[in-house]
Amino acid sequence: MIWLLLAVFAPLLGALGLPLLARLVPKAPARVLGVGSLGFAIATLTGVVGTVLERPKVSLEWIPALGVRFDLAVDGISAPLLLLTGLMGVVATAVPAHIDADNAPGAAVESSRLALYYACLLGTIFGAVICFLAGDALVFFIGFECVLLPMWLLIAQFGDPAPQALARAASLRFLMVTALGSTLMLIGLLAVAASTGTTNLQVWAQLAGSTFSRPQGLVVAGLLVLGLSFKVPVWPLHTWLPWVHSSAPSAGSILLAAVLLKLGTYGLVRLVIPVVPAGFATIAPVLGGFAVVGIIWAGLACLVERDLKRLIAWSSIAHLGFVVLGLASGTEAGMQAALFGNVAHGVISGLLFVVVGALKHEWGGADLGTPHASLREAAPHWGFALIFGFAASMGLPGLAGFWGEFGAIYAAWTPAPGRPGGFFVLLAVGAAVGAALAAAYSARVLREVWGGERTKPAIADAGRIELLVVAALVVIVVGLGVYPSLLLDSTAPVVSTLLTGAP
Amino acid sequence: MKAPTSGSWTDIAVPDFSIPWPSFDFLPDLPGEMSHYVIGLPVIFAILIWALPAKALGRSAVLAVLGGVLTLIAALWQLLLVPTEGSMVAQTVGPLAFGDLEIPLLLSTSNVFAITSLVVALIALVVQVFARWYLWFDPRYRQFAATVSLFTAAMLLVVNSGDAVLTLVGWEVMGWCSYLLIGHLSAKASARRAAAKALIVTRLADAGFVLGIVALAAGAQTTSWEGILEHWSRSPGTALTVAMVLMIIGVAGKSALFPFHDWLPDAMEGPTPASALIHAATMVAAGTIVLAQLLPLLQSSSIALWTLAIAASVTTLLAALLAFAQPDLKRLLAWSTVSQVAIMLAALTAIPVGEGPDVALLHLTSHAIFKSLLFLAVGWLAVLTGGTVMVYVASGVRRYGSVRWPLGMGLLALAGVPPLVGFVSKELILVSAESGVAQTNGGPALLVLAAVGAGAPLTAAYCMRAWLILDRALDVPVVSATRGQEVIDDFFTEPEVVAEAIGVEEAESAISSSARAGVTTLGVLTVLGGLLPFTTWFEVDLHLNIPLLVSTIGLMAAAALAVVAASRGVRTRDAAARLPARLSLMAERGLGADTAYQALVTRPTLKLARSVVWLDQHILDSYVRGAGASARWLGQVGQDVSPTRPAKSLALLLGGVGLLVVLGWWWA
Repeated sequence: MIWLLLAVFAPLLGALGLPLLARLVPKAPARVLGVGSLGFAIATLTGVVGTVLERPKVSLEWIPALGVRFDLAVDGISAPLLLLTGLMGVVATAVPAHIDADNAPGAAVESSRLALYYACLLGTIFGAVICFLAGDALVFFIGFECVLLPMWLLIAQFGDPAPQALARAASLRFLMVTALGSTLMLIGLLAVAASTGTTNLQVWAQLAGSTFSRPQGLVVAGLLVLGLSFKVPVWPLHTWLPWVHSSAPSAGSILLAAVLLKLGTYGLVRLVIPVVPAGFATIAPVLGGFAVVGIIWAGLACLVERDLKRLIAWSSIAHLGFVVLGLASGTEAGMQAALFGNVAHGVISGLLFVVVGALKHEWGGADLGTPHASLREAAPHWGFALIFGFAASMGLPGLAGFWGEFGAIYAAWTPAPGRPGGFFVLLAVGAAVGAALAAAYSARVLREVWGGERTKPAIADAGRIELLVVAALVVIVVGLGVYPSLLLDSTAPVVSTLLTGAP
Repeated sequence: MKAPTSGSWTDIAVPDFSIPWPSFDFLPDLPGEMSHYVIGLPVIFAILIWALPAKALGRSAVLAVLGGVLTLIAALWQLLLVPTEGSMVAQTVGPLAFGDLEIPLLLSTSNVFAITSLVVALIALVVQVFARWYLWFDPRYRQFAATVSLFTAAMLLVVNSGDAVLTLVGWEVMGWCSYLLIGHLSAKASARRAAAKALIVTRLADAGFVLGIVALAAGAQTTSWEGILEHWSRSPGTALTVAMVLMIIGVAGKSALFPFHDWLPDAMEGPTPASALIHAATMVAAGTIVLAQLLPLLQSSSIALWTLAIAASVTTLLAALLAFAQPDLKRLLAWSTVSQVAIMLAALTAIPVGEGPDVALLHLTSHAIFKSLLFLAVGWLAVLTGGTVMVYVASGVRRYGSVRWPLGMGLLALAGVPPLVGFVSKELILVSAESGVAQTNGGPALLVLAAVGAGAPLTAAYCMRAWLILDRALDVPVVSATRGQEVIDDFFTEPEVVAEAIGVEEAESAISSSARAGVTTLGVLTVLGGLLPFTTWFEVDLHLNIPLLVSTIGLMAAAALAVVAASRGVRTRDAAARLPARLSLMAERGLGADTAYQALVTRPTLKLARSVVWLDQHILDSYVRGAGASARWLGQVGQDVSPTRPAKSLALLLGGVGLLVVLGWWWA
């Protein structure tokens, strides 16, 4: 119980306390703020680890008229995502905050601005923790919305300083798209709540859509899937992601990729598949088709994309395509693969954004067309992190990315009964070709950035903290890749109950 | 070995002198199974080497060689313990919870795969020892040694795997390590290109491999090879054919079969020890291992059998022809690898139903020994002469007597001259194909018999050509790349001083005794390896088909003589100089395969990618942009039309709301 309180209140206190501190002590040194926020993030991680081990349950009276209770709980599916959130919170607050003073790039940053930056990071983490803990649809939705505002601020205020207009356009895109997505999702949630008379997710899963007629179920599933697809993002609702990633600060990108996108897929697993199974089964082929188009589309875009950060964003779209494909297959194997791929993508893209964010800072831009010193020659530590990240990202076995991709292709080849088998086999073939594209664009980036004879302009190699962060992520990626049961055994029992509808 | 069966005069059984093999039950039991050590040790040593500081080259070498020795001991131990029938099974990190799909992740080692493991471990050790000398001045030797160690582990995993997923793991890790090794000199643009090409081509083919494994596993509901074999041998049909053709596509990528073959000659950009490893014992040979495990399934699908037989036969002949025309000794060896690996795969399609894949694996072993010998000897020669282009290496074995016999042995074994290991394995393939022709579905076997038969004189021809150049008399002026008479230095103006300086440089590049010992070991094995079929590990039909034998050797001799005749009068004694310039240029470029890749795959893909990005920005994103802009515009309009100061009506409205709240509260 104490762990749960720590996990929830540490980021909240940090998010509210740091700006207050900066207001009270206007000359608070940047170091204090940085270390303070890191402390709050570590406290959150500690709380999350304790929560996952102890598995406490909280259920408070909240809005009895609507049947809403403040339910927080952990199970095998949310536990890995909570750990991921806690970990990535630490990573995001630990990496150097390469932000500039308002309107004056390069000038010293005021402490209030820095405090706001860290508050935004912690606020995002708070929302995500609530979301993953939620046992009630309304609590989930509130967590989901809590994430938006700090993230929007991060993109709009602390992003790329050079083209202000681009950053503003990106943050506007983010806000529009995610707000539209949440609205659609909210309508869907209200429909389910009205029909079942409760917002308890466990009850929803037990009813398994029995309160809906067939067309009703289809409409509700459609609304929920559409709303969540903005967040995941699923092709063709993905266009905001590359823009947002290219302007977000690197800590923002880390949280966006490792935590925010996970909310979308987690929503599909929690709010759609067990709640309106029949409706989801009907739209699953369409969803799977979009997922595979997304895999190939994003893989192709990566072959010609000139901005390294946007490229990683595109690769995220491809990886989440595998996750969604696994979910669309409707089998246990598919869902296992999807949940694995979800976490793996979080860690791997987090690692890549740590590297690429630092490179963008060192290079003064992420354009691949500008000649840079070869990373292997000039900054071997970053070079290693980059080549390792891309190896993991292309699904090399022995690293975390492999199991999700292989499992998704297998699941698409053998979809659940009732799904169009031939069509899904086509999807499996498309996904396998998309995996080959991943090798092609990885080879392209490594050839241009990692190898090469140039040693100038010299760039600084990774600092001690960055090395520590990279090392921790590398260990996790290898650990999950070599011993996948760590994660698979945690999710397996929940997956089978979610799919069979049994409590 | 297997007891001979027939007794006609054309088909003489070799007298049974099977080498006695004592029992090794007295070896102590170690915790875990031996296959854990065989695969685990090189992984652990790769990590240890990698964890050393960047400049610790000496310690890296110690660990690399120590790891190699321990792996070799483990492989030998495994070979001594493995039963003659059945296999040793070991647990790994499985089983995995993947719904209905069973993923047990077991290792399984049988007799013939244990000896293959031993050969892989041995060649890896020799390569590590050799690389220490060859890369003495390379600041990235540490990374190289660690990658070689990991590469070895991945190959050993494929060899000892009892599960499709474990095979896939080893398969892909090998591909990645080969990428790193080929691109080892990453400052060189050509090395970067070759590495990227190898990765992309093999990964593209691997899409087929992954789908093949998925299809096989989907039918059998398990990924264990045993379960897959059991399920699919009961239910052959279209599904099996599809799965096997997909597997063959994957194998064609890694084993450099037409049309995926062109990455392999380019892979020569890697340092020579890496080439020796990639070309001899690992990577290209992995496809043979996998299909050998799946042999019964391959045989029950005639379409798959024909696909593999045609691809392998075309590749072996084409590559042998191209090898003949190469102007670079290392590229000649690369094309000979393409040709020889295709022979192994072709052999699989010709094996009579009911027999094991041992002849193909015997050729794998034999090729591994003589090809690594050749590569290391050529690497050694290249250090002495300054390059592997034919004009540099001309007269090489006359000038440097120490490389004479390793190169000679290697070329003789490659050509298939009795009694060396290359002769034995190739002859047994021909015998096996000959008996395969007799069975009902003998078409592929006939094709293979013809292709391997025709390949033999071609192989002899290019080996003869290489030897004639290497062994050219010394009275012709020597061209040398970096050293030689053209050393211009103010300090050494007098002729004898120049000669002395050259001597010093040559002494510096003289091979280390351990590297030389490695080469010698391989040379000895090239001779002794001819005894392998008489051991208990290979179950092969020991027949001598006299007409077949005589005609093969006759053809080889004729081809060799023709090459000798053609080389007369050419200054470099290069028989290929007789070819028209256009033809040899085309051969050097691999018949334009790279251009074809560019035109047929790369450029259309990039074009498609550009149109995708255009569509994304101008069509899909325009809705999002439009939504953002219109929302803003609406907001602006709202702000413009509404009064900026609160109107009186607002106060009334707020008052009303307040009243309602109070009323509602009181009511409740």
